[in-house]
Amino acid sequence: MSDEAFSDINGNRISLDCQRHSDFCGEFTVSSPKLSFLKVTGCTCALWLCAYTIFFFTEVTEVLSVAIMLSLVGMMGHLHFLKIDHESLLVIGSLGIQMTSSYASGRESTTFIEMSKVKDVVINEAIYMQRVIYYLCILLKEPLHPNEVGDIVPVFQSCKPRLNCLIEIYKQCQEILAQS
Amino acid sequence: MVLKIFFPQCCVQAESGLLIGRWLPKHNSAVVLAVIHFPFIPCQVKQYLCQLQNLIKLELAIVGSWSKAVKGQEKQDNFMEDLCTIFPQGDWLQMYSEKGKRGFDCRVIPRNGTKTMNNDKNVVIIHYDQRKVMLSQLHPADGLVLGSQKNVSELTMVFQTVSQSKELFHSDKYDEGPFKVTHWQSEGREASIIIELCKQASVPVCFMINCFLTVWFWMCKSRILNLWPARFVSSKLSTCVQLSHRAEQLQIMSNPRKTSEHLEFMRKGNIFLSFLIDLALGLLLISWLYRENCIARLADMLVPAADRVAEELQQLLQWLMGAPAGLKMNRALDQVLGKFFLYHIHLWISYIHLMSPFIGMILWYLGLSACLGLTIALSVFSDIVALLTFHIYCFYVYGARLYCLKIYGLSSLWRLFRGKKWNVLRQRVDSCSYDLDQLFIGTLLFTILLFLLPTTVLYYLVFTLLRLLVVLFQGLFHLCMDLINSIPLFAMGMRIFRPYRLAAGVKFRILQNDKERPLHLLMEINPLTFSAVLKWYRIPTYSCYPKDSWGALCKKLFIGELIYPWKTKHTKTD
Amino acid sequence: MGKKKEKCRKKTLLQKTLDGTTPTLNNCISQKHKICMVSDFFYPNMGGVESHIYQLSQCLIERGHKVIIVTHAYGNRKGIRFLTKGLKVYYLPLKVMYNQSTATTIFHSLPLLRCIFVRECITIVHSHSSFSVLAHDALFHAKTMGLHTVFTDHSLFGFADVSSVLTNKLLTVSLCDTNHIICVSFTSKENTVLRGALNPEIVSVIPNAVDPTDFTPDPSRREDGKITIVVISRLVYRKGIDLLAGIIPKLCLKHPDLNFIIGGEGPKRLVIEEVREKYQLHERVRLLGALEHREVRNVLVQGHIFLNTSLTEAFCMAIVEGASCGLQVVSTKVGGIPEVLPEDLIILCEPTVKSLCEGLEMVIAKERAGNLLSPAAIHNRVKTLYTWRNVAKRTEKVYDRVAKEVVLTIDERLHRLMFSCGPVAGCIFAFLAVLDFLLLLLLKWLVPESYMDRAVDATGPHGLWRQWSLPRASPNGEQKSNYHLSHSSVELLNDASC
Repeated sequence: MSDEAFSDINGNRISLDCQRHSDFCGEFTVSSPKLSFLKVTGCTCALWLCAYTIFFFTEVTEVLSVAIMLSLVGMMGHLHFLKIDHESLLVIGSLGIQMTSSYASGRESTTFIEMSKVKDVVINEAIYMQRVIYYLCILLKEPLHPNEVGDIVPVFQSCKPRLNCLIEIYKQCQEILAQS
Repeated sequence: MVLKIFFPQCCVQAESGLLIGRWLPKHNSAVVLAVIHFPFIPCQVKQYLCQLQNLIKLELAIVGSWSKAVKGQEKQDNFMEDLCTIFPQGDWLQMYSEKGKRGFDCRVIPRNGTKTMNNDKNVVIIHYDQRKVMLSQLHPADGLVLGSQKNVSELTMVFQTVSQSKELFHSDKYDEGPFKVTHWQSEGREASIIIELCKQASVPVCFMINCFLTVWFWMCKSRILNLWPARFVSSKLSTCVQLSHRAEQLQIMSNPRKTSEHLEFMRKGNIFLSFLIDLALGLLLISWLYRENCIARLADMLVPAADRVAEELQQLLQWLMGAPAGLKMNRALDQVLGKFFLYHIHLWISYIHLMSPFIGMILWYLGLSACLGLTIALSVFSDIVALLTFHIYCFYVYGARLYCLKIYGLSSLWRLFRGKKWNVLRQRVDSCSYDLDQLFIGTLLFTILLFLLPTTVLYYLVFTLLRLLVVLFQGLFHLCMDLINSIPLFAMGMRIFRPYRLAAGVKFRILQNDKERPLHLLMEINPLTFSAVLKWYRIPTYSCYPKDSWGALCKKLFIGELIYPWKTKHTKTD
Repeated sequence: MGKKKEKCRKKTLLQKTLDGTTPTLNNCISQKHKICMVSDFFYPNMGGVESHIYQLSQCLIERGHKVIIVTHAYGNRKGIRFLTKGLKVYYLPLKVMYNQSTATTIFHSLPLLRCIFVRECITIVHSHSSFSVLAHDALFHAKTMGLHTVFTDHSLFGFADVSSVLTNKLLTVSLCDTNHIICVSFTSKENTVLRGALNPEIVSVIPNAVDPTDFTPDPSRREDGKITIVVISRLVYRKGIDLLAGIIPKLCLKHPDLNFIIGGEGPKRLVIEEVREKYQLHERVRLLGALEHREVRNVLVQGHIFLNTSLTEAFCMAIVEGASCGLQVVSTKVGGIPEVLPEDLIILCEPTVKSLCEGLEMVIAKERAGNLLSPAAIHNRVKTLYTWRNVAKRTEKVYDRVAKEVVLTIDERLHRLMFSCGPVAGCIFAFLAVLDFLLLLLLKWLVPESYMDRAVDATGPHGLWRQWSLPRASPNGEQKSNYHLSHSSVELLNDASC
């Protein structure tokens, strides 16, 4: 329904897309910025320049072909395994919570957590890479003591939206959780 | 509370009729399994249900009615509502699809007779693929046991319900019966005639293997092989260990009973495939070894190589006996140690030369062992390496023992220096007052040991490095063997070709999003990741290497404790 | 978990006693500060500094200030935690080097500390203990960032040996541009002024305190017909455990009805154990090992005499606790100890075995004759001497004064460093300060302050902690989003903390 612009903790612009399918079902998608063309060109050029320098001094032609192969494979690997295009959180009341992260290559990895295991969805603080950040997480129940918190599953791990965005999502999640 | 209805995809196009399914009241959900079409006689339906319940041991029920969009809906609606009085079990679901619209509606009539409540929105219809759900095995994320009965979650219940109702799906749509039923049906038999033949043949083959194994185990248990030296040696030779491991695996595999449990079935499959791969690789190796008389050339190379190693060692010792790297050693001790080791090498060389005429033949016969599999061949090779570098091992042991004694002596004398002693009873350092002569002797010994230490350290260091080189080499072979032994190929293949069979969980997609109608979701199976497949189905292997961390290994090396192999810690209680 | 309960109990007690006074207190406070307490030593580590920081923070929160605590991670306890009344604690993942002190490269803690100072909008950085490396680091960075700084010194130092000389130099450098310094006793003040070559005007004395409601006497727990001496301290060299090991056999041989109870843990435990085994005193000398704070009172009330054998001490909280439990205190006459208790409540001895034995003998004789003050009387006298509320009030005055001062600019700071810390060290540290400043500029460019979310206040003027006992927000409620947030994270931390 709504599509707003927020920023992540590094100041990059991200967009939040909240869709309410019904009273007890909502989907929140956070899209991170696309791969910047400049960066890709920069990396590739640097790699090729290095290879060319080595070639210039050693005169081994294999270096060049290896460099080209490396840049191709690296690019594909980056797109397939590292670069996450968007992450979404699907909350279905009384059924469960599903987290999906879609990679730039189209690969998707999904985790579904049943509602009977979920204790709550909260915003928490953590120390991350020489910084202190807010993040949204799902609290799971301890299997043997249902009243206690067991594991913590962080959501939006790669996009890392800032607090105002998290609060938006948090509010709607709590609405859905309260409905069911 | 939201009512969840799990609805099979194959029934969306079905004609109107009754829904067979199961209520999961604890989770407020219903699993629809099949549709019984009109016309039918109610008491026959009840009879059929009874039969089914006996067959599959689940509480099945008529959960509601299904009507496909046709004209004159009004009349049928009432008729459907009336049906609920005939089958009074739980709530009554009334599902109907409308013409020209995707999806369908659902009304819930509670059991206690009050008329339709306006709670259409509180229903979620979850479509599922009956075949995939039936065949898949759910792996819990945290639980270590498959199919444990405690704390069964909703999804597990759904999966269980569908997979247990296999009998229901056996009936064909062309079968004659009192009424027609719609559910998932197999399109012809999946298995071909070859597989059927294999199944038939497997029984006598398993029997034969079993007989052979019994004889083998009986031989292994015989008394001669259990005498001390034979037993000790066989536990240290990797060939023997690998052979017995394979025999055990064969026994598991050739068990003629039909496997019902999923894990056991997978284990058998994995072992079988790893066996096959192992044999195939072994045969490849044989064909290469015996084709161009490689084996003879290898044998010719082996003796000179051993000679060469011994020569190099001799030179190394000579170097150590002088002033190695400009270090000034204790000359007397240096000479004694050097001569001792030189004599040892001399013995070794004569032993090799005694053996040299027979080595070619021995290798030829040992090479045949590759037909038992690549792993056996590798372990034989690793044993040969171990035997050919026996002198290095001996040197290492002597060096380590000497060094260990020195370190031990130095540490206790250092405590004496500080007026402390080790309290064995309490496992701690106590203070203690020594006599003058005790202190004098202690100090004297400490000094002597300290000044002799560098010489010992040098010998220890050099031989430990040599030993580590050999261990590294052997470790590579063992790593290869372990890889072949433990990779669950069958499970991997299943993950690639039938990803739905091994499920890590499920994922949902929104099918239809209409505010006026119930929410439709599609349930898909989320296959296990490859790392999870490895974690679940890795074939357990014997481990031949010590379980030390790197830190522990370094510590052992530092205090001169023997590293792999031939050192097993015994508890003092026996 | 146990400690948590203890804290909760403490909280309710405090609130009960406070209810009458809070409004008047609130009226007279002119200015609210945002204070960051920094020290390597905090719970779950136990000791005087730890409880000082905790109690002071609680009382400052009560007075309406915003307080957070920064310390390093203790084992599994890392990240951010909330304690009673929304006291927020950052357990930073820094490497511990020695004695729970962190290792430092001076610069590597800057990014995290800057992030915390910025997101919590800190105005005053208050460091504790000169042993704490993290505290010195924080002072250094806070000055670079232009924040007001306060330092509390909890310990005494010598001047003679190499390690003292080095530490004193470090202290000089660290304190020469700090706005204000607090010491716990006059002896400590003298010591610090000398060591740090400071202007005595900027050094205040604010003693430690104990919570008298936690340490009440209970003579019925004492064993009849026996005299029990209680020692509670860490078993380390500084606490004079070797003296204790000399005293125990002497007195035990003389008085068959004398028992010792020793609480605490440390490397010198072995010495006591050996003495116990040598003289076969297993039944008469009980070693309790490490004690939790709430267990201390139960141990104290079992004794008649409290013995302190410290070799150096700035302000001994243990003897105040002992006296508050109604015990007769015998202590060595070192450091700030003579200032702590009035003369009739304490018997001071020289730090030798002989003198301590004499002192103890005298007390034992008095006890036998029944000439000692009653526990209740001692408690009543001590009760009013040291309270945390008093400490907080005085610390607040220091904050008010500091807030009015101007923070030195970088060139003034360099000038101060160069000319008051000696030629070599001064130049080195001036250079380091410049480097720190450049690093700060780099960080400001890499991660601008606008990228950092401001933390939601749990305490302070707009703190949300008081609301957290309200029922959960209704789904379509109009409440501020912050409320949801604090509520949830509080819930999380209450459940997740072990």
